Amino acid sequence: MSSADIVVRFKDVNFAYEDGITVLESINLELEKGEFACIVGPNGGGKTTMIRLMLGLLKPTSGSIEILGGKPRERCQHVGYVPQFSKFDASFPVSVLDVVLMGCMQRSFFMGRYSKTQKEQAQQALADVGLKDMAFRSFADLSGGQKQRALIARALMSEPQLLLLDEPTASVDVHGTEQFYRMFSEMNEKFTIVMVSHDIGFVAASVKSVICVRKTMQIHPVSELTGESLQKMYGLDVHLIRHDHRCTEKGHVCPHS
Amino acid sequence: MSAFIKDLIELPFLQNAVLAGILCSIASGIVGTWVVLRRITYIAAAISHCILGGLGAARYFSVVYDLPWLRPVYGAIFTALAAALTIGIISLRAKEREDTVISALWAIGMAVGVLFIFKTPGYNEDLMSYLFGNILMVSREDLFLIGALDVVVVALTLTFYSQTLAVCFDEEFARTRGMAVEFYYLLLLCLTALTVVLTVSVVGIIMVIALLSLPVAIASRFFDRVWKIMAASMLLGIFFTLTGLAVSYTPNLPSGAVTIVMAGLTYLMTLVFSALKKPVQKTPTA
Repeated sequence: MSSADIVVRFKDVNFAYEDGITVLESINLELEKGEFACIVGPNGGGKTTMIRLMLGLLKPTSGSIEILGGKPRERCQHVGYVPQFSKFDASFPVSVLDVVLMGCMQRSFFMGRYSKTQKEQAQQALADVGLKDMAFRSFADLSGGQKQRALIARALMSEPQLLLLDEPTASVDVHGTEQFYRMFSEMNEKFTIVMVSHDIGFVAASVKSVICVRKTMQIHPVSELTGESLQKMYGLDVHLIRHDHRCTEKGHVCPHS
Repeated sequence: MSAFIKDLIELPFLQNAVLAGILCSIASGIVGTWVVLRRITYIAAAISHCILGGLGAARYFSVVYDLPWLRPVYGAIFTALAAALTIGIISLRAKEREDTVISALWAIGMAVGVLFIFKTPGYNEDLMSYLFGNILMVSREDLFLIGALDVVVVALTLTFYSQTLAVCFDEEFARTRGMAVEFYYLLLLCLTALTVVLTVSVVGIIMVIALLSLPVAIASRFFDRVWKIMAASMLLGIFFTLTGLAVSYTPNLPSGAVTIVMAGLTYLMTLVFSALKKPVQKTPTA
């Protein structure tokens, strides 16, 4: 694997907040191009911190992070970020199109209005996430799932090589979640996806690797996580994680260790 | 009311007052919308109270050292910008307790102002007009200054509309796009500072925040786009300042206070109105 194909690289990364509480400890991670990785773990285990480190919003206390072969802050133009919609002011007076166009923003000062090309691109991004004809609706009037889709469309505007999603299905029903994963699988043909998730049950279906974070980190290719390999991996400790054990049509899968 | 209209045609100071009300409402409609959306009304209030320090100091040095060019409004502009940048940098750097620092600046600005005004020889009646505004004292010179500041506010808003919108909507995302989020935040605070200085001449330091936020609060109930809220807030601001002026004129009431009471009553009426009527189903604007 040449280093050019490594999209995300964490090398001996430690992260602690200013109050000294260690969130992440000696994280080593390499994700290749085309990967669809899901970060799982308990609340406060450092899932969102990993995403924020990849975005360059946080700096590691020690160790180094490379995104698309460069520093996170420098490569952020090629990284699409989809936050949780629930943190927004629910009545913010903007149209869906306005929100999507915010994805065109760049470091450079561009003056005034968005170009026609950018508006067409935004309409296309909306069609891609299944929100065709919704462009002129108020963002505030959309359902939770629709808001999340609009935010994904916003992230697509920068034509990302890496898409980072923070719990995209947090308040979407089961049917909606399936649709989201179908959409992610399609997008995954074009770019690398890393997402934080609580939906451990669904992870196995379309995700290629599972990153388990609880201060320290382990990465598991999903298909290898059979009961047998788990036993090999953990030896006697296997009993400690059996509560996460799930049965799927692909066999016994433990996405959450 | 008819006396007001008759005098308006004849008396230049009344014409100045009307123009001041209109010009201030333009800036406060625009900036007030950002202030409400970005949830920094508290910071705007702190900046406006700090202005008293600048007003008082400028007037003191002007009188004591005989510097006629040093008008109180220059002190106000300087202090407002300084307060905006100080508060801005504190709130960007400090992770917590920023409200304590802001409150402290708020009070210190007022205290410094009171001391300077107290030590300034002559009458201290200016204190009242600083605190509660006196739109009838607006001079031609003031109008030029208000107009110039208006141009700055409108030009900067038109230039950075999309950027400011993106930063107000989702600051973190804007940061991941590589946008200079801090720059836009400080820019917004500086615009707020300039607008507050303008508005002080109409309603005074204490009531500025009401004129910034009440028209926006009313407009937000009827419009669901930022630019529409801005336009509606401007018109509401003009309506409130002019009716405040007209209503207060004959009974010789303080016009700033009447203006704010008008705005407050209208806001309450819209609240009652929307409580009686079921929430209006917003129709998609195609």
